[in-house]
Amino acid sequence: MNSFVVAAPNKCIGCRTCEVACVVAHSSKNMFTSTQREIEFNPRLSVIKTAAVSAPIQCRHCENAPCANACSEGCIVNTEGVIYINQRTCIGCKTCIVACPFGAIDMVSCSEDGEKKQQTGLKCDDSGKLCIKEKMVANKCDLCLGRQGGPACMEVCPTDALRIVNSDGIAGATREKRRRSVSGLSCYRVN
Amino acid sequence: MVSRDYLINIDRELCTGCRRCAEVCPVNAIEGEKDAPQSINRERCVFCGQCVQICSVYASIFDESITPRAIKLKERNMLETVKEPLFAAYNIGHAQQVKEALASSELYKIVQCAPAVRVSLAEEFGFPYGSLTPGKMAAALRRLGFDRVYDTNFGADLTIMEEGNELVKRIAEGDGKDLPMFTSCCPAWVKYVEQEYPELLAHLSSCKSPQQMSGVIFKTYGAKIDNINPAKILSAAIMPCTCKQFECTREEMADSGYRDVDVVLTTRELAQLIKDRGIDFANLPDEAFDLPLGNYSGAGAIFGTIGGVMEAALRTCYELMTKKPAPRLELNFVRGGEGIRTAMIQAGELELRVAVVSGLKNAAKILEDVKAGRCQFHFIEVMTCPGGCINGGGQPKFLLPEYREEATKSRKASLYEHDSQLNIRKSHENPDIQKLYVEFLGEPLGHQSHHLLHTEYVARKGQN
Amino acid sequence: MSGTLNSFVVANPTKCIGCKVCEMVCFAVHDKKDQVAMAVGTIAAPIIPRLYLVRSEVLKMPIQCRHCEDAPCANSCRIGAIKQEDNRIVIDENECIGCKTCLLACPFGAIDLLPQFKDGEAVIQANLKEEGEFGLEEKAKTVAYKCDLCQEHGEPACVAACPQQALTLVIPAEEKKRRNRQAAVNLLAALK
Repeated sequence: MNSFVVAAPNKCIGCRTCEVACVVAHSSKNMFTSTQREIEFNPRLSVIKTAAVSAPIQCRHCENAPCANACSEGCIVNTEGVIYINQRTCIGCKTCIVACPFGAIDMVSCSEDGEKKQQTGLKCDDSGKLCIKEKMVANKCDLCLGRQGGPACMEVCPTDALRIVNSDGIAGATREKRRRSVSGLSCYRVN
Repeated sequence: MVSRDYLINIDRELCTGCRRCAEVCPVNAIEGEKDAPQSINRERCVFCGQCVQICSVYASIFDESITPRAIKLKERNMLETVKEPLFAAYNIGHAQQVKEALASSELYKIVQCAPAVRVSLAEEFGFPYGSLTPGKMAAALRRLGFDRVYDTNFGADLTIMEEGNELVKRIAEGDGKDLPMFTSCCPAWVKYVEQEYPELLAHLSSCKSPQQMSGVIFKTYGAKIDNINPAKILSAAIMPCTCKQFECTREEMADSGYRDVDVVLTTRELAQLIKDRGIDFANLPDEAFDLPLGNYSGAGAIFGTIGGVMEAALRTCYELMTKKPAPRLELNFVRGGEGIRTAMIQAGELELRVAVVSGLKNAAKILEDVKAGRCQFHFIEVMTCPGGCINGGGQPKFLLPEYREEATKSRKASLYEHDSQLNIRKSHENPDIQKLYVEFLGEPLGHQSHHLLHTEYVARKGQN
Repeated sequence: MSGTLNSFVVANPTKCIGCKVCEMVCFAVHDKKDQVAMAVGTIAAPIIPRLYLVRSEVLKMPIQCRHCEDAPCANSCRIGAIKQEDNRIVIDENECIGCKTCLLACPFGAIDLLPQFKDGEAVIQANLKEEGEFGLEEKAKTVAYKCDLCQEHGEPACVAACPQQALTLVIPAEEKKRRNRQAAVNLLAALK
């Protein structure tokens, strides 16, 4: 089973520290010494704040990931327990955005080795002037694949609102729930 | 090879201690506390496999806390291609051994199939309950690589020749001390008498079972007519029974000079082997058994259901006693179903009193009567499995008991249907049986028959 | 809007012997459409039940969906694959994307996430591949399973099959009335 990070809305205070941690974890640049122009702020989780709820929303790494099943280019694969977008092959078709029921995917400009990537041929018309267009790609939570210590968002949350759910955890919780369900019925008699 | 003493086992890792197996065990061999894993008392167990049939505690392949399936298959000596779910109660398999033997070009491979297998095997391939498929079965066995597809039904006809004459002789010549005579085709029943009532062993017919009679004939007469060195014969038997493997490994079952039967597969194991070899059972053509040792009468066919041995014996005994054919062939009054069925047949001067016992649980009462000298019957058929071999421990297993009841009913109807469609319906009228006596055996109960087809039993009280 | 409460099956722990016949029949009934016959030998796919025998130190019984009136699983399903249909909460297994949220939501542990099978073969993802030892490999579909009170079969098969009659289909309104009546009778005896 794929793991995923999920937030407890009752704990989240909407501080967006998780978003910052996400950007830092995925950036090759030092956020604190770089200028604003050099840093793209593209967090892979989005803190939602409404009158009723505040919580970050991010990819659930669905077992039958609709985004991946919808991707005609096969750019989204299941690797090491993560639903992963291969940004090198992404063509920016946005079908995955339509497929994802959580809104967990965003389109961002593509950076490679700290440099923004340009289109190879595609130009865009900017008030009568043809400009080179930046390459745009789909972006979403990758559970900080390869990062020691796992997802950065969890580490920084000041209220411990985020937790990772994995196969063992879910199996253990289900076992525990079932055990509780049984003891809850110990008084039940049909007569 | 796996020890015969451990033919039936309970996987302690899976067993939840529901003890439904203990309810069906005819010999109270299943021991253990409720809710705790059970174990089998090996002094009592008769390997009937009824526990294997009823067990519903399966191994979930999603349960990571238990031993992986591949290891369990190995423990159970099953083919690694077997896909069906595994349960706590199981029998040790022998399909791997047969598969290896079939691959050998050195061996001359002979197979026999019990009467009950041809009405159940197809269920393993999604056919309706009780589908009668002797033709497809013979074709499948040939495609598996058997050189001769012979038949236990032939052996059943031979058993009737010997057992019928034995009964007539016991009634005519004896002082009645060895009456009633009990059938001896069911190896679990025989083992039960040996361990629980050794003082009554003389009451068992001395006839070997159809499986063992077939086996000994294959390696003697069969070897001769095929001009084969019997040392090179591998004799396999397909049985609805988990105890037949025990029977074939009994020390004395070697009167041919070799093991009379080398290995036994259950109906389920044969189906697994057919699937393993990728044979498309459903689309096989109907093929005939090989002659002469695959020829059989309707009497041989009905051995597979309770009362069948009795009916087959009566069809022949009536003629032996009165020198006249029985007034009717279909003796519905012995076609038992419930626990004990009794009947009386007027055979000339003699009032022949017979009983048919379905399910070993019902046998103790009659055995106690015999012990006390209160038993008035001449001939008693006993089958360990309720309903006879069609409901044997090695037959296709069902998800639910109600499916099994339905299947048993259909299999029984199919066997009687098979009998009614055959031209020859009495064992002594089987021309290849007649030929066997002329060419090889001499006469029933004669010297050669006595040597090859009859056996002795051992008291096993307090031992395995 | 339905005025009746959802029914559900519940086990009596004092009667259950732990034989798993309920799991067996549950599988048999739900996989009939997948050409599984009744003989064990014809079953090529793993047994997937929709109720689960649970054995604790003191008690044992199967656990299954309570068909909650305010079903947390359904309320948490982003794609609406869990619905109430003729007085039961059902998962549309073909719709399920395997996001696992319902597993977190259900307080009974009544939902399991397991591979989907059709005709004895695992259902494969349309496009999603998994990186394995030898590059990208096919990935089987995994869906959420739970009790649907045998929607297609008609009546809950587990209730009928239990050899101990340990399972009951509770119809809440009727059960309440029955208990009220019984209590009234008892009261009569007490205050006579």
